[in-house]
Amino acid sequence: MLGIIAIALAIFPFVSDSRTWTILLTQIFIFSILAMSYDILLGYTGIVSFGHAMFFGMGAYTTAVMLKRIDPTMGTFILSIGVGMLLAALISFFIGLLTLRLKSHFFAMLTLAVSGLFLVLAEKWRTVTQGNDGFTFKAPEFFKDRIMFYIVVLAILVLVYIFLRRFVNSPFGRVLVAVRENEQRTRSLGFNPLHYKVIASVVAGVIASLAGSLYAVSLRFVNTSVLTMDITLDALLMTIIGGVGTLIGPIVGAAIIELTQHYLSGLAKDYPIFERWIIFFGIVYILAVIFFPKGIVGTIREKLWKRSTKKDAPKSVPKKEDL
Amino acid sequence: MELLINLTINGLATGMLIFLLASGLTLIFGLMSVLNFAHGGLFAWGAYSGIWFYTLTGSFFLGILFALITGLVLGFITEKLIITPVYGNHVQQILITLGFMLVLTELLKVVWGPNQMAAKVPSYLAGSWEIGDVLIIKYRLFIIFVGFLIFGIFQYMLQKTKIGLVVRAGVMNKEMVQALGINIKRVFLYVFMAGSALAALSGVLMAPYSGVIYAEMGFEFAILAFIVVVIGGMGSFPGSLLAAILVGLAGSYMAYYVPALSLAVNMMLMAIVLIFRPQGLFTAKG
Repeated sequence: MLGIIAIALAIFPFVSDSRTWTILLTQIFIFSILAMSYDILLGYTGIVSFGHAMFFGMGAYTTAVMLKRIDPTMGTFILSIGVGMLLAALISFFIGLLTLRLKSHFFAMLTLAVSGLFLVLAEKWRTVTQGNDGFTFKAPEFFKDRIMFYIVVLAILVLVYIFLRRFVNSPFGRVLVAVRENEQRTRSLGFNPLHYKVIASVVAGVIASLAGSLYAVSLRFVNTSVLTMDITLDALLMTIIGGVGTLIGPIVGAAIIELTQHYLSGLAKDYPIFERWIIFFGIVYILAVIFFPKGIVGTIREKLWKRSTKKDAPKSVPKKEDL
Repeated sequence: MELLINLTINGLATGMLIFLLASGLTLIFGLMSVLNFAHGGLFAWGAYSGIWFYTLTGSFFLGILFALITGLVLGFITEKLIITPVYGNHVQQILITLGFMLVLTELLKVVWGPNQMAAKVPSYLAGSWEIGDVLIIKYRLFIIFVGFLIFGIFQYMLQKTKIGLVVRAGVMNKEMVQALGINIKRVFLYVFMAGSALAALSGVLMAPYSGVIYAEMGFEFAILAFIVVVIGGMGSFPGSLLAAILVGLAGSYMAYYVPALSLAVNMMLMAIVLIFRPQGLFTAKG
């Protein structure tokens, strides 16, 4: 099923020659990767990070700076992805080690503060980042063709999906879910939750950095907006609306949000109220947190599960209490 | 020397504004263990509604009053609609209050437009006094005065009145207070509304101080308030005053002597406190 969709999407740009759609879908793929990485934290490990944008921005800046300073070739592009991921891994490791033993409130706040610090750093370090004005750069020759880039991003999305699915279904991933469900009990079973949380945050950070690198190349431009809270909020909305604790959910969420955003900002020309489209997402998001904490995919999956067992199986809504 | 005095007054004034914002946050956290990420939104709403009413009527005092009412009403709505449904679930609380913050900020732009709004200091608070070589701006002194006044009022209410007693008891042990026949849910609502009103007050006082207001200011200031709450100890009212003054002074001195570090210093301060003393410098006990 998923394979068919992936193949259909791969053929799509050769059938249709709508440039807008190719770009829009590329954007959806990139944000799907980001949202999936966020779901590793929120959905599988049960930790709320408000600093995910810093890893995204790290990838975006590494790629942009290297493509501009060294040369716009494929080799540099691949190298820059690697460097960005390595940086993200190191930083998420240290931040995680220092902060993940704190309770959820503190962790959320601290990640917010640290990502704020990175934003300030990027704004002040003008010689490299050119602050809020940002800078343009040349993408590798190979990506001059939008369709080529589309295919590459789709391939990376599929690879990341497969990798993350193996990751969450591995024994390691099961421990992450156990940490989410009940940290004390996991500890008493002999697993060190801190160890697992840190690795989860490193994996999430690395994947977010990859998404950032692709994002920078897709725009051929980078400024401090890649480090702002908006990016974290996007990832959060996509994950919550699509469905936490499923990998398909964030992809669905990314598609819904990007598409709606596209249409609503089109409508804004006629109806100015739609310029504030984010309100609708905010309200939907709040309603989702209260009434559908499992999101679209999670809710559908639950319904299907109930129907197939035909029994009143006890509700397995995860209680993410952590006091 | 003059410079030092000026920087100190500056820092104190900023510190007081942060204190007003942080004190609501810390009271709500101490009693309800809810960390309200929408608090900055209430701050921005206070600033906009207060300044709007101030320009409409021409009276700064009425503007402040209007901001306080806005804060109380929004606090009531927030508690009933946003906090109560997810009470007791921390992850959901964090997520939902952040979402509400988003909605509040965007609604602000719908009502008053996305542009910045200018805010003037009322004529009787404008200008400055000159004492020797020291130039003291009146409005800053006014803010410091209001800050200490509010601290005094709340400290009195917390320590000497019955409702204060209930709140302090609630911070220590909610179940016990409930078992003694007090409707703790109603106390939660009152404290939440009071905290929101304080946030709105902070917003409307902030507006003439910075000269312009914009929708995102809530978020920027809320981060400072979070830092203060963490440093001061979650739930500690006097702790938040001291931490706010500390953060205000540090920001003011750093902005002059080491400008590059001015924002980073608060974050570092918080990081150090969180890592070595996660409960904050002052522990909350009533």
